[in-house]
Amino acid sequence: MLSEKKVIPGEKKHSLPLLDTPATVRIKFTKTGNLQFISHLDLQRTFHRVLVRANIPMWYTQGFNPHAKLVFGLPLSIGTQSVCEMADLRIDRKISLEDIKNQLNEQLTDEMQVLDAYYPTTKFNDIAFADYTVKIRSPKITPEYEIAATALFAAPIIMTKKSKSGEKEVDITDFIKKIEFCAIDGELTVNAVLSAGSTENLNPEYLVTALKTLDLGECPIYTIMRNRVFDKYLIEFK
Amino acid sequence: MNEKLHSILKQVSKPGRYSGGEYGQIIKEKSKVKARFAFAFPDTYEIGMSNLGVRILYDCLNREDDIWCERVYDPWVDMQEMMKANDLPLWAHESQDAVRDFDFLGFTLQYEMSYTNVLNMLELAGIPLRSSERGEEFPIVIGGGPCAYNPEPVADFFDLFNIGEGESMLVEIIRLYIQMKDEGNYSKSEFLHRAAATIPGVYVPSLYDVQYNEDGTIKAYVPKYDDVPTKVIKRIVEDLDKAVFPDYAIMPYIECVHDRIMLEVFRGCIRGCRFCQAGMIYRPVREKSPDVLNEQAKCIFENTGYEEISLSSLSISDYTKLPELTDMLLDWTKDNMVSFSLPSLRVDSFTKELMEKVSSVRSSSLTFAPEAGSQRLRDVINKNVREDDLMRAVNVAFDSGKTQVKLYFMQGLPTEAEEDLAAIPALAKSVIEAFYKNPNRNKAKAPSVTFSVSPFIPKPFTPFQWEPQDSLDTMQQKQQFVGSLVTDKKIKYQHHDAEICRIEAVLARGDRRLADALELACREGFKFDAWSEYFDYEKWCSVFERTGVDMDFYTTRRYSYDEVLPWDIIDCGVDKSFLVRENMKAHENTTTPSCRERCSGCGANKLGGERTCCPKRK
Repeated sequence: MLSEKKVIPGEKKHSLPLLDTPATVRIKFTKTGNLQFISHLDLQRTFHRVLVRANIPMWYTQGFNPHAKLVFGLPLSIGTQSVCEMADLRIDRKISLEDIKNQLNEQLTDEMQVLDAYYPTTKFNDIAFADYTVKIRSPKITPEYEIAATALFAAPIIMTKKSKSGEKEVDITDFIKKIEFCAIDGELTVNAVLSAGSTENLNPEYLVTALKTLDLGECPIYTIMRNRVFDKYLIEFK
Repeated sequence: MNEKLHSILKQVSKPGRYSGGEYGQIIKEKSKVKARFAFAFPDTYEIGMSNLGVRILYDCLNREDDIWCERVYDPWVDMQEMMKANDLPLWAHESQDAVRDFDFLGFTLQYEMSYTNVLNMLELAGIPLRSSERGEEFPIVIGGGPCAYNPEPVADFFDLFNIGEGESMLVEIIRLYIQMKDEGNYSKSEFLHRAAATIPGVYVPSLYDVQYNEDGTIKAYVPKYDDVPTKVIKRIVEDLDKAVFPDYAIMPYIECVHDRIMLEVFRGCIRGCRFCQAGMIYRPVREKSPDVLNEQAKCIFENTGYEEISLSSLSISDYTKLPELTDMLLDWTKDNMVSFSLPSLRVDSFTKELMEKVSSVRSSSLTFAPEAGSQRLRDVINKNVREDDLMRAVNVAFDSGKTQVKLYFMQGLPTEAEEDLAAIPALAKSVIEAFYKNPNRNKAKAPSVTFSVSPFIPKPFTPFQWEPQDSLDTMQQKQQFVGSLVTDKKIKYQHHDAEICRIEAVLARGDRRLADALELACREGFKFDAWSEYFDYEKWCSVFERTGVDMDFYTTRRYSYDEVLPWDIIDCGVDKSFLVRENMKAHENTTTPSCRERCSGCGANKLGGERTCCPKRK
């Protein structure tokens, strides 16, 4: 049916004043619940539609096939949730950081919400570590399990690690900066700081795989949350 | 449910198919809803999410405050194994609740080869396959979509079919259900009877007895009650400008087959190709106004952020207001970096002006469908396209630097002779020759022509519904023959799997006696039969043999004009006498003009319709 109000596509965006030079804005956002199953590539592929819906005045590359400039930070594996995802947007019109955050949140679901928008002073390449919480539920978990888990991670854990260059045997504890266990009946909480970034990276799933060697029963229910990212000096990356 | 599903999703491929959580999905408060409808697409998420009909009906139902419609897709094989191992029944995407507990489970039947997926999904949901085995505790199972025009092969598995366009019919059905529940007089059998008796377009197969002749043909359909229609007349939306059209979309994160704005420009087709079911069952032609379409496109763009608009219809270039519409769209799409594409261009409408407006033609390849190689056979099928039209169209393409052309054909069409088949590769060759004769051609590249040939499948409600299909041997011999004529490396030949086409023909022209075979197929784990990696012809033959089905009865047999057809219980608007006339004209190599040139009296105008080219019925 023909709606009463006439829509002028992109009007809200096009009426903003142009900037002298394009600016970069970083957004920090969550990716939780059902959206943990959306791959990094699929998010990259579909996120520009969110930016269009939200009327974010994106700067477009010049040339034959113009596209908006959007760079995501540290990739997040499928099955891991996060409250510290980041992406840099390049904008070419004047818009407040608060408007960017609010307009995006209106166009996103509860499972992905922008927590902050700011002008970045760092580069994604500086990310070196990430802090994760793994929660595993299984009737097999007891206070004794905590002791066994602590002992397991005190020694080398050799696993086959897949990377772009192929498979190789590594000691995963080389990539663990810090790890703590806390078991109450039926639930194990693991807090860990792992290598993260383009040079060295450990998928937190390996922690679960290692813990499964200590008999967790069949198909234990677990969640993984990425809480924060750090630079190489373990200072929180912003 | 949620935790269990999540732990399983960590172990399957493409978990984004199952997680839901997309922007645009509709979540309602369960306590405020009186009827829950699970709308199932019996194939993968990527295919189901691309279907415009599902999007429209999802919107129609969810506009009603007390009805909640959710989506369901067929999980891929690895996920099905995990579901069985973990005792997880089929669930609906939005709430992740078990489909078994819904009030309704609706399936859209888009292609015959998805029938095994329908049964597979019922099994995954823990719902008995046959309508007669389902008690009050199970959802009412509804079917609709193009294959519902001959619902008979799957009639025993459905409680009710929607014949025709479901926009208002589906809401009326659920309203009746809610009303009977509120009044306290609901029972499944009473509900089905009242729906069949009072809601036009509703077909309840269990309310009819089918009688057969000794030769296996059908003798009669006998309604069990006086108030049940003897013929179920197709429902249509008369005025498409006023019809519900969603101004939003559920935005998939994972890559789908069609992931763009789909703007339905008109329904029906003026052409009347004699093999084409869509061209008959969607009659009469009804157009939308360009200003309505433009406003809808703008709203959808604002609400989705899509970067591409596809104008969707059968034979889009037959839209009378196409130049107006494309100009209106270009007015705002360019500034917003939105491109648009046209599917299915006819060669006789392919012009330089049109090509320049459309971005899809930025790609180096163009597709045309002459359907038959010789002019005589194109006249038989009423394609109304001449070789000159094709040559002019490819030259327009070559002028602008294109080098690749795709051509679609059919084999096994009625009256086909060897020279008609030989004309197919010959036509491909003349396209290559046309390239080299074109002075404006892209001289830096060699041309390439890919032609694809599909075996003919007789479909209900077409002038060719009575025609035999070639035997499997003949189909395969013809494929070899055509292949043997291709000697030029610039020409590539592709053909469809003849075995799949034979099974599709059985299911397309089948009757209720196929139910046992389909049930056995389901029990033996048949699924994804439209996917060649899962289709197994030998297994299908075995299933038919064990259930006493003679495949030739439905495939290679010529049906007679006076025979009662399984789909005669349905009135799709087009009269049988028109189909007979068209069939006879085909055998006389005579064409019929398009609806816009002259009305041929197909009868579909009795259904009404606004902005149509049909003469008003007296």
